[in-house]
Amino acid sequence: MSFARRVMETGEGRFGVVMLALLVAVALAAPWLAPGDPLAIAGEPLLRPLQDMAHPLGTDRLGRDVLSALIHGARTSLLVAVSAAVAALGIGITVGTVAGFLGGWVDEALMRLAEAFQTVPAFLLTLALISVTGPRAETIVLGIAIGAWMQPARITRAEILSLRERDFVAAARVIGMRPLEIAFREVLPNALTPAVSLAAVVVAAAVLIEAALSFLGFGDPNRVTWGSMIAEGRTVLRRAPYLSIIPGVGLVLTVLSVHLTGRGVARALRAWRVLA
Amino acid sequence: MTRALGLLRRRLIGVVPVFCLVVVGAFLLLEAAPGDAVDAYLAGIGGGDAAQRAALRAEWGLDQGSLARLAAYVAALLRLDLGWSTAFARPVLSVVLERLPNTLLLMGMATLLALSLGSALGVVCGARPGSVRDRAVSLAAIAIYAMPGFWLGLVLIVAFSVELRWLPSGGIETVASGLTGWERALDIGRHLVLPVLALGLVYMALYLRLMRDGMAELWSQDFVRAARARGMHGARLVLRHVARNALLPVVTMLGLQSASMLGGSVVIESVFAIPGLGRLASEAVARRDTPLLLGVILLSAVVVMTVNLVIDLVYALLDPRVGSGTGG
Amino acid sequence: MSSPAVSRRSALAGAATLPFLPRPAQAQKRGGRLTVAADSEPANLNPAIIASNGVFFVASKLMEPLAEASYTGRDGLAPRLATGWEGAADGRSVTFTLRPGVTWHDGKPFTSADVAFSAMEVWKKLGNLGRAVFRDLEAVQTPDAHTAVFRFAVPTPAQMIRNALPVVTSVVPRHLFEGTDIMKNPANVALVGTGPFRFAERRPGEYTRLIRNPAYWDTGKPYLDEIVYRVLPDRAAAANALEAEEIQLAAFSAVPLADLDRIAKVRGLKVFANGYEGLTYQLCVEINHRRRELADVRVRRALSHAIDRDFVVRAIFRGYAATSQGPVPRHDRVFHAADIAMPGFDPARANALLDEAGFPRDASGTRFRLRLLPAPFFNETRQFGDYLRQALAAIGIDAQIVSNDTPAHLKAVYTDHAFDITVASPVYRGDPAISTTILYQSGLPAGVPFANQYGYANAAVDGLIRQAAGTIDDAERVRLYRAFQKQVVDDVALINVAEFSFISVARDTLVGVSNNPRWAVSNWADLGFAG
Repeated sequence: MSFARRVMETGEGRFGVVMLALLVAVALAAPWLAPGDPLAIAGEPLLRPLQDMAHPLGTDRLGRDVLSALIHGARTSLLVAVSAAVAALGIGITVGTVAGFLGGWVDEALMRLAEAFQTVPAFLLTLALISVTGPRAETIVLGIAIGAWMQPARITRAEILSLRERDFVAAARVIGMRPLEIAFREVLPNALTPAVSLAAVVVAAAVLIEAALSFLGFGDPNRVTWGSMIAEGRTVLRRAPYLSIIPGVGLVLTVLSVHLTGRGVARALRAWRVLA
Repeated sequence: MTRALGLLRRRLIGVVPVFCLVVVGAFLLLEAAPGDAVDAYLAGIGGGDAAQRAALRAEWGLDQGSLARLAAYVAALLRLDLGWSTAFARPVLSVVLERLPNTLLLMGMATLLALSLGSALGVVCGARPGSVRDRAVSLAAIAIYAMPGFWLGLVLIVAFSVELRWLPSGGIETVASGLTGWERALDIGRHLVLPVLALGLVYMALYLRLMRDGMAELWSQDFVRAARARGMHGARLVLRHVARNALLPVVTMLGLQSASMLGGSVVIESVFAIPGLGRLASEAVARRDTPLLLGVILLSAVVVMTVNLVIDLVYALLDPRVGSGTGG
Repeated sequence: MSSPAVSRRSALAGAATLPFLPRPAQAQKRGGRLTVAADSEPANLNPAIIASNGVFFVASKLMEPLAEASYTGRDGLAPRLATGWEGAADGRSVTFTLRPGVTWHDGKPFTSADVAFSAMEVWKKLGNLGRAVFRDLEAVQTPDAHTAVFRFAVPTPAQMIRNALPVVTSVVPRHLFEGTDIMKNPANVALVGTGPFRFAERRPGEYTRLIRNPAYWDTGKPYLDEIVYRVLPDRAAAANALEAEEIQLAAFSAVPLADLDRIAKVRGLKVFANGYEGLTYQLCVEINHRRRELADVRVRRALSHAIDRDFVVRAIFRGYAATSQGPVPRHDRVFHAADIAMPGFDPARANALLDEAGFPRDASGTRFRLRLLPAPFFNETRQFGDYLRQALAAIGIDAQIVSNDTPAHLKAVYTDHAFDITVASPVYRGDPAISTTILYQSGLPAGVPFANQYGYANAAVDGLIRQAAGTIDDAERVRLYRAFQKQVVDDVALINVAEFSFISVARDTLVGVSNNPRWAVSNWADLGFAG
């Protein structure tokens, strides 16, 4: 059975993959689906959904179109979340590989560092970081990543530790490869799977953290994100609940589809490893 | 007992470098922030002239270099002096200790809710993996997990305090109520229902999944099959063999999540206007109160480490196979 | 009592009207606890040192100024601790007659010695606004226990001193402060004053509680037994608490403006748009004149032409504001120059001016880029930042929003000058000399916040400011300040957009809400629940 078939085996997996594909398509096609600046004032403020078909999902307090903000918001939310996940996995896998392969004091120091980051509520550090740098998309990505690299690092390290005494590592040593070269070229590819299967969890968490940051007013003001839409809609929560509900539903669907896809992939991976 | 002490010592030795990293890192981070405590203070009082600015900087020691102040801070810390909060004009220790109980209460109740409800529902699902009941509950849990906590909080407030008026909309207790004893405890309890739900449900969903997945896997394990072959079945099998073993990863996760839960309480405390450590931390950042932020971070780290220590000990009790070589 | 803003709103909407049933004149009864929302908890509550709204909101019930603002009184003032004031013809002294029979909360009598100590040791030396107003105060003489004569080193306009009375003259008890380190005195939090309420307790992060002063000089007042300030830093939380009847009053727009239409229809709640005239904020665009493009007055005019002030008032302030045409708000009928106007909404004219100034659009339609720093102080300043970005895009200026928290914003704008334009909200404090000239006079050192850090310098403006500062005659002062307004509006030194203040929402059982121009920060002696 092919890998893709396995992922799609269950109803959950199918829902996740289809939903996620749809979201990604919308995000990629945003400039064509909703041309122009999504922050532009397009009509009367606070139109309700379906009230004016020029703005099918209504407008916000300044008269900006909710549908086009939603579409562009998908783009930013996913971009920020995926970048943060890539950064977190990148840092985590690198740290884990170095620590696991070199061992000794390097391992000790790096794992202490991971422990320090796990001991301090990462969200507090992220808040402090963003207040230093100002809320820009890049620092938000970095801020989310510094709170999420520890788990991938640990898992990679554990995997590397179990692999480093294998024959092919010894063989690589014999032909004179340098330790880090062995670590990254020979061992890491074999140890990647468990860390990468964390990707879904990290992306999902990143979507939620980005939303929470925007909600607290630490979003990038030059871009629309679903979190900033909720924060903006919150002041009119009772009067125009759709302004918070629509992006909220977007968030839930995104996190849900990422999660379900992730579970499907993890299940397929397990089966694949058993076979291999 | 000796093993527990050994574990404790190992942990405590590990703590010192971690603390040093945290203190230096957070100090330098906030130092690099644009604007200082005087800017924050002047904005709050509507401005001030050059002489006033200079006088305040001198009074708060901000006219000295970062490193000199870091050295002074660390020296004071060694005497267990957390410094002076410029934002509150009081010693940091008294400010943070005042807020600690509220946060501990919120976190403790949320953990209790997440753990009890999560593992109970997890057992329900994991007892018969793949059943309709399992799939329905699991899907509901993952939907809750996908919900931002602050959003859930907003919805709960509108529904239960504004519309139905069953529960208060925020705060930790009725202000200046004069209540004492059980009446006060009840009052605090009523105030905590909504924030605990908003904070705890997400973790409930997490523990439910862990428990359920763990149990689903255990069913195919040899010792479970053996127990079945011996004729054990029903609730006894589920609880004694499967659930008990599936609880271990949940307990581990509990420790790992304590820091994240403290972070989550920043948002929940701000939605529900609860005077806790989380809200204090964002105030400290906004007012460039470096000693206060460090105080909150250090205290949070102490809380997280204590929780983890307790969990290590509990874990050792739950699973006799665990030696002192784990952790780290 | 009807509320002007609500009627203005319904007139705007063209709707019939809200049901304004003529209410029989109600009398307040004695007793009751009032719980109000407070969004901040200042560490130092002493209004003689810190004249800010957050401090006054609590402290004005405990400590009193010499006179309070009034809708009807002479000079726009109502007597408090002073019953009379008279400036000398040469501008070198002002004589205050003090109220007899007043005691401090600890039972000691209030005398002219308290006023002399407060003026010389606190207002002049430590007061954040007082130090400017009383800069030239030389001595305070106390010929008897109820007379205080303020002597100035140079002629000082009595009009300016009068206008400053409500804000900078809270009297502190000499017997508790003399000989102590005033800034560290515990009486800065557990205030001891002469006001209608006494300090009871404070639970940080939760509430501050005040109780009735039975020995208040205005016999029979106050009506309330207790005031509890519940800390609710979040604005949506205040609206919820109000609807859930956990609090009875939310002042300082604790309820978001966008929610007011709905709140106004909730049974048992009333919206008040008055009672803040003495605390008018001015929504402005600050301009960095050091930037080459912005040094050209045509470009600054174009920016002003790009802004639709009516839309701003309607969409951002939901009608609870007025458009602004200059540096003095129009409610100040004495100083406001009615014959001046900022360049009005006219994007075509703006485009023409920019072309004329030599900044054509490039291939992508952009003329030049600007860094826009919206002040984080109010929701409305942030939202206006979002609007301004769009309004400038329409005339080919690409404004990138740089979002900062409060300390970072102050540093960037007022110390580092690292901005091109900002959105600001200075407060008008009743006299141009107290609040306004500092935004235009040149030569201030970098780092002084809420002041001209814009690189704007006009010798004629500096001359008018200097001349008016030493002018004793009321009418001549007014004439000079009107000339000053004309000059800075001609220069488009900064762009005035709207004048706004705050909204109160109260339960309709409260009597005596919004009955003076600084109501939220006045003593509330006559506030009570309907009997």
